[in-house]
Amino acid sequence: MAPNVASSPNENWETQIRKGWLDLVILASLWKEKLYGLDIIRRLEAHSELLLSEGTIYPILGRLKRDGFVDAEWVESDAGHPRKYYWLTPSGRCRTAAMAWHASTFLARIDSLIEPILAKEER
Amino acid sequence: MSHPEKLQQKIDSYLMQLRRSLGELPPDEVSEILKEIRGHILERAEASGELTEERLVTILKALGSPEQIAPLYQADALVARARSSLSPRVVMRGIHRWSTLSIWGFVLFVLGIVGYATGAALTLSGVLKIFAPSQIGAWVGPHEILNIGVTSDPAARDVLGWWLVPVGLIGGPALIIATTRALRWTLRFARIRRPATA
Repeated sequence: MAPNVASSPNENWETQIRKGWLDLVILASLWKEKLYGLDIIRRLEAHSELLLSEGTIYPILGRLKRDGFVDAEWVESDAGHPRKYYWLTPSGRCRTAAMAWHASTFLARIDSLIEPILAKEER
Repeated sequence: MSHPEKLQQKIDSYLMQLRRSLGELPPDEVSEILKEIRGHILERAEASGELTEERLVTILKALGSPEQIAPLYQADALVARARSSLSPRVVMRGIHRWSTLSIWGFVLFVLGIVGYATGAALTLSGVLKIFAPSQIGAWVGPHEILNIGVTSDPAARDVLGWWLVPVGLIGGPALIIATTRALRWTLRFARIRRPATA
């Protein structure tokens, strides 16, 4: 089990990390298909623990839309209320691919740095 | 549903609070945001089977309070609009938002005020020179380096004379436009930090 650092003074650091990854995680969730906000949230819940408060995702989607990385459209649903679907624009796809590449390089470097620490903890 | 009316009231009051907190955004943007958040709440509520007040509280808590969410929209949207606007008012509002978050924003906010005030004073002097040519001028004297406007120094000399009219009427607005463009340009580099909720 990972030690729980959420309630320690490191909480702020954790929050920063989450925020830093959110853009990429949201863009990545749209890589294969169009999704609406709650869809994206459910996906994030399933794949990561990145989201602290669900409402955060909507302003980020709005910003990504203004920056031209995603586009959006209201679609009527059986649920009785319309859903706003988002998808990646061509420039959003480029951006996501670039971010994914950066992230993986970055993670590999961090990994090699913290590996000895984690190995020591396990013993 | 246990108390449908009461629950509906709770949702409405949440959305109303969000609307109030979003006050500074354009109305069409606000209604778009509310429509999306309402959809989120309703869909979460439907997915939970029988909706109890307790369930609803959990849903709203997971969403975050209106006071938490609204600034996330505002910091971004105000600056985004300022970046593409030619109106000094909209640009200064964006700069002001930035100035509450960063020292650079504050420095630019002060520079912006100086730029606009100088531009306005220059324009005003150009206009007033036409009506009060002997009192308005670009004064240089023993006690002042260059004072555009009215002077209290009897020894001061008006260096521009009637030239103050075209200089004020063209230079003043030009300075205002230049200030707007410069501030807008700097906003491209504004890294707006969002409040610490993720």
